[in-house]
Amino acid sequence: MTNRLMMTRRGLLRTGAAGFATAALGLGAGRATAQTTAAALQLSWTHSVQFAGSYIAQDRGFWRDGGLDVSLLQGGPNAPVEPPVVAGTALVGISAADYTAAAVEQGAPFKILGVAMQKNPFVIASLPANPVNTPADLVGKRIGMALANTPVLQALCTLNGVDISTIEIIPTQYSPQPLLTNEVDCLLCWATDLPVAMAIEGIEAVTMLMADHGYALHSQTYIATTDSLANRRAELVALMRGEVAGWNAYRTDTDAATALTLAMFPDAGLDLATQTLQAQRQVPLMFSDLTDANGFGWWTDETVAANIETLALLGRNVPPDLWDRSILEEVHAA
Amino acid sequence: MTAASGLAASQHNPWRTTLPGLLIVLLVWEGVGRSMGGTYLLAPPSLVLLWLGDNAGLVGRALSATLSNAAVGFVLGNLAALLLAAMALVWPASQRIVTGVALVVFCLPLVATGPILRVMFGPGNGPQIVLAALAVYYTTLIPLLVGMRAAPASWFDLVRSYGRGPLAALGYIRLMASLPYLFAGLQIAAPAAILGAMVGEFTGAERGLGVLTVRAMRSLDVEMTWALASVATFAAVAAYWGIGALTRAVLRDAPPLILAPPRDDTRRGAPLLRAITGLGGVIAAILVLWGGSIALFGLNPFFAKGPWDVAHAVFWASDAAQTRASLGVALMGTVLLLVPGYLAGLAAGAGLAVVFTLLPKLAGTMMPLAIALRSVPIVTTAPLVVLLLGRGATGTIVLVAVMVFFPTLVACLHGLRQAPGQVMDVFNSYAASPLQRLVRVQIPAMLPAFFAAARMAVPAAVLAVTVVEWLATGIGVGTLMALSASVSDYDMLWAAVVLAASLSALGYAGVGLIESRILRIYAPEQLT
Repeated sequence: MTNRLMMTRRGLLRTGAAGFATAALGLGAGRATAQTTAAALQLSWTHSVQFAGSYIAQDRGFWRDGGLDVSLLQGGPNAPVEPPVVAGTALVGISAADYTAAAVEQGAPFKILGVAMQKNPFVIASLPANPVNTPADLVGKRIGMALANTPVLQALCTLNGVDISTIEIIPTQYSPQPLLTNEVDCLLCWATDLPVAMAIEGIEAVTMLMADHGYALHSQTYIATTDSLANRRAELVALMRGEVAGWNAYRTDTDAATALTLAMFPDAGLDLATQTLQAQRQVPLMFSDLTDANGFGWWTDETVAANIETLALLGRNVPPDLWDRSILEEVHAA
Repeated sequence: MTAASGLAASQHNPWRTTLPGLLIVLLVWEGVGRSMGGTYLLAPPSLVLLWLGDNAGLVGRALSATLSNAAVGFVLGNLAALLLAAMALVWPASQRIVTGVALVVFCLPLVATGPILRVMFGPGNGPQIVLAALAVYYTTLIPLLVGMRAAPASWFDLVRSYGRGPLAALGYIRLMASLPYLFAGLQIAAPAAILGAMVGEFTGAERGLGVLTVRAMRSLDVEMTWALASVATFAAVAAYWGIGALTRAVLRDAPPLILAPPRDDTRRGAPLLRAITGLGGVIAAILVLWGGSIALFGLNPFFAKGPWDVAHAVFWASDAAQTRASLGVALMGTVLLLVPGYLAGLAAGAGLAVVFTLLPKLAGTMMPLAIALRSVPIVTTAPLVVLLLGRGATGTIVLVAVMVFFPTLVACLHGLRQAPGQVMDVFNSYAASPLQRLVRVQIPAMLPAFFAAARMAVPAAVLAVTVVEWLATGIGVGTLMALSASVSDYDMLWAAVVLAASLSALGYAGVGLIESRILRIYAPEQLT
């Protein structure tokens, strides 16, 4: 909480200074605020701590300071991210490397500007009595998952020399219920949702992070069109600068970020305990030695090469220049 | 007291007659819910109430957001239906095209229209309102068109003998004759508007019952899931009852006796020609509307595919054979569950209407349960029913049947009440048994309404099956559409939309063919 107050005060000081500077230049402060440009950020799902860094950027004026008035567009089960970004309704969208690659194959002019989730959040979740700790443990198990994710499991098996035909795939809805009632031995899900829901119910699941077993796929990636990269650079830099500052603040105090999320979206039906735990569990997926050294959202040629390899296993062939680091370099150079 | 008036009387005091049924349901629910603790499937009503008490503010705000969007969509959709019906009557040549295009627009799958509406409207309530309007206008239009013809030929002769034209006939006869049918349509439309608004919320709305439902399903919150389903159901039942009360306040006259001249069959052979030219007109109008609206709204070609793009993807592209194979597999998966569910729903709806007419007391107890069953928005029930009944065929068939059953029941009950009073009096004076009255008067009188419902139920059944596939079972056209959208394969998505819409339209036309054969005997005034 202290931290948050300090940050706010610092923000106040900064805006105060900026106001003073513009006043000294003979411009009214009112005019300075009127000069903000509107831009929209399309989120990939409904509001939750999954996007808390953006809420902090909004709340503390990180975007406003950069002359940007950002509206956050919520996602949902029937709200694909790509169309609003292509159509220009949203300047930036939160996608993932595989969805972006698929859209590019269909002619969308996308570039990846930043990577929020360095490690892919897919896990194999199981119960302690019958655990899946390594990919080899999958042999002979019943796995509950959406059939649409079969290529994901296939990629994991190929990467680890497991014969997928030894695993029984049971199509399930995205819910921990089949695991808890012993209809399946494990689930393919995100580290940050179903295992969290089970933990809140008092059941600590065993999770095997697929990223630790060769499944390299950037998730929660920031995408924009090549047209925006050419013509709206300043806005992209301002937006990403706000995101970086927001997520850095998030990392220092996930509880404060959770409190802010619940305060900003009282109608989203969020549960404090669930959100607090989810906020903690996504930190190790988003921050790594790489981001400590270079800053939030970073990637290198090596991580991109690993992504391209995984994407090829998923049947998507993309060139390395799908990733464009120029915006992020400008943000972190400042 | 006739059976029909007994039914009406029982509806005047809903609480006295329905309370026992309601109590039984609650007790069974409580018992089953308690015995299923730990399976994360069903929350008993006591826990649901507790949850609602703790979250009253949250649910209240969500409910008001959903209801206000549903109400605006309801009004707009029904106004559109009135305009279309008036146009079809004043300018009869347009009727085939109007109803054909209206049908195809109604058949557009929500999975596909939602995201496009969101891109067109941006943030706000646009998609929720439009989807609510789309969910209601057709179920009002069709009964309205039936009702506008449900008047004795002598009344039209009277208007003509005064030298007046079709506009006067519309105002003095058709609008009045159509009122019972209009209200039947409105009653069915009320729960549909709420469902439409909730599906619209899946496209990224900020608040509403649909938004909370998504949250509840993901977080294993069984109490919240069932609480939201209960609240949505309650709202839908209340809307249904409200319109029912309005109907009873407005409609007092007994339905007129319709003695229509037998159909002139000298034009045999011509109907086929008319059908073909009508179909051609409808297809041409749809292609123009489709391509035209993409150009008019300047929709981006990345996701907005025109008729040419779809034809190219399905017939000439290098992977066209593969595309056709995917579509074929999906279509088979859908049809195999759709047809049994549809037939079961029709049989149950018509059968129960007949039973209710013979046993009006039972109607008072059972009707609210039937309303509730149908009003539970399918987006909240699809995953629950599939959890309870399994993701095999049973769950899907039951859901389709439930979607079809209720509009059929309501339409058939209204139809049974359309039995002309004079004919009923004749039967009563001969002390005919209720069964004789039923078979010789009421069921023939019910047929136009039954067939209108059977036609209308085709798109509803397709909607149900695609929603279940999308949200729960992971097979068929519904899943194909959701998957194509997630990997930006919009050619495939639009091809699947064409497939789903054609399926509805063909089913509708098929029922129409059977209908015209049967109505030629029982209700020739319905055949223009």
